[in-house]
Amino acid sequence: MMMMNGEATEAELFLNCADMSVLERQRAQLNYHHLPGFFSNSSTINGGEIDDGFLASAGLDLPEIYGEVHGDARISVSPGNITNESGNSKKRKFGCVDTETKVFNEKKKMMMMDREVEVEEEEEKSKITEQSTKSIMKMKNKAKKEQNSCSNDSSKVTKDSQRTDYIHVRARRGQATDSHSIAERARREKISERMKFLQDLVPGCEKITGKAGMLDEIINYVQSLQRQVEFLSMKLATVSPRLDFNIDDIFAKEVVSAPMMNLPNSVMPPHMMVNSGYPHDMVNSGYVHFNPMQQVVTSSDPLACFNNGQSATMWDSDVQNLYSSLGV
Amino acid sequence: MQPTSSMNEQFLKKWQMGLQIFRPSIDNTSVSERKRAIKLSADVAMASLRKGTTCWSRALIQKAATQDNFLVRQMLSGIKEETLINKKLPKIVCHRKIVRRSKKILMRRKSKSAMEEVAAKAKKLVKRKTQGLRNIVPGGEFMSNNVLLIQETLDYIVSLQTQVNVMRSIVDAADAGVER
Repeated sequence: MMMMNGEATEAELFLNCADMSVLERQRAQLNYHHLPGFFSNSSTINGGEIDDGFLASAGLDLPEIYGEVHGDARISVSPGNITNESGNSKKRKFGCVDTETKVFNEKKKMMMMDREVEVEEEEEKSKITEQSTKSIMKMKNKAKKEQNSCSNDSSKVTKDSQRTDYIHVRARRGQATDSHSIAERARREKISERMKFLQDLVPGCEKITGKAGMLDEIINYVQSLQRQVEFLSMKLATVSPRLDFNIDDIFAKEVVSAPMMNLPNSVMPPHMMVNSGYPHDMVNSGYVHFNPMQQVVTSSDPLACFNNGQSATMWDSDVQNLYSSLGV
Repeated sequence: MQPTSSMNEQFLKKWQMGLQIFRPSIDNTSVSERKRAIKLSADVAMASLRKGTTCWSRALIQKAATQDNFLVRQMLSGIKEETLINKKLPKIVCHRKIVRRSKKILMRRKSKSAMEEVAAKAKKLVKRKTQGLRNIVPGGEFMSNNVLLIQETLDYIVSLQTQVNVMRSIVDAADAGVER
């Protein structure tokens, strides 16, 4: 409902992100210009399939899931899918890595990621173990926050603009890349996103964090709404013995901003009027006489369904007759 | 997403239609009967706005159909009423005794750290709450995962809000009329 509309393409967002490392920028550029048909089955080619472009070309065995995609999508977990590309893409990948390593000596963390990636690929493992990342990262501890924020940004960015068959996810730093846990995490993120919408809807829970509290509030709110419906229907049952209500007041509010809004019985279908238990003195006042006509004319369409097909003109004359008859 | 005025109008139209259908059968009946009729037609109107796309609306219509099949069919005429009413939803059955027993066995085997215990308790709490939510939202037992549950709850809340708004404005108008 209120998701980010990817007005800019991913690539542009990447390029504009202040915290972007040079690696990501290059990556974005590469993928922005990458050739279609390079990837056979794993993705549709949108302008900015960044991770798909780069890392698939890297021939990774890792399953990669990027945040969440709106709507249902399957999570690509198949290493085989990606290794298809590894043959013809290895050269390109190494080339990429080389250029990148030259360019960012200051952002060594990224490089470490790539080296890991190489290592992983060569050993053909499908998990980045926490130990390996940590051991490598001990040497290079710079820009951890940057990394996270970039990956967060990128995950948010790719989230909405991807419409692929598979969800490609970047496993975040220090988190397991098991396919199950990634799927779990995607599910959890979906849930938390929905909960945020619920926060907007349910009044008075901006301050509540945590699922249990939110669920409590939601349950209370739904219960109170249901109780309100019960109470209101009971009240309506007592108010009108014949179950005829003033629909026109509602329409009047939207159609005609007349001061007559609160008049109880502006216009009702003829048979209702005849049988209604409404006091006749109200009906007979000439004051009432005119405005309802206006209201009827303007809101004749919504009323059509329970006018038994009467047209507007017939309606007017009928109501006039009715008024006159009741005046007797 | 708050209920829009067009939603209000649509609901009102459908509800009035339903009330018209009810009217011949409830002349001079008790207050509770009328209240039941009002509520039923309002619920069916609310659910029919979704045209069978959401789980809760289908469940609500089915429940209403058990109460008053003929009238519900009339109300829904034209919106695939047959499928809506006759559809059998797969219920998620959870034999609680068995689940509890197996959980106890699992608990005995595992020896947890303090942090794990806290996390487990939090999870239990959340599970209990989601179960409570399932009991409240119509058709909650049929929603297989939590994401769906929360989505349905969202939609259900918006529909309830329209219902309450419309009803309240009618009550207000009626009150204003009576006072005169």
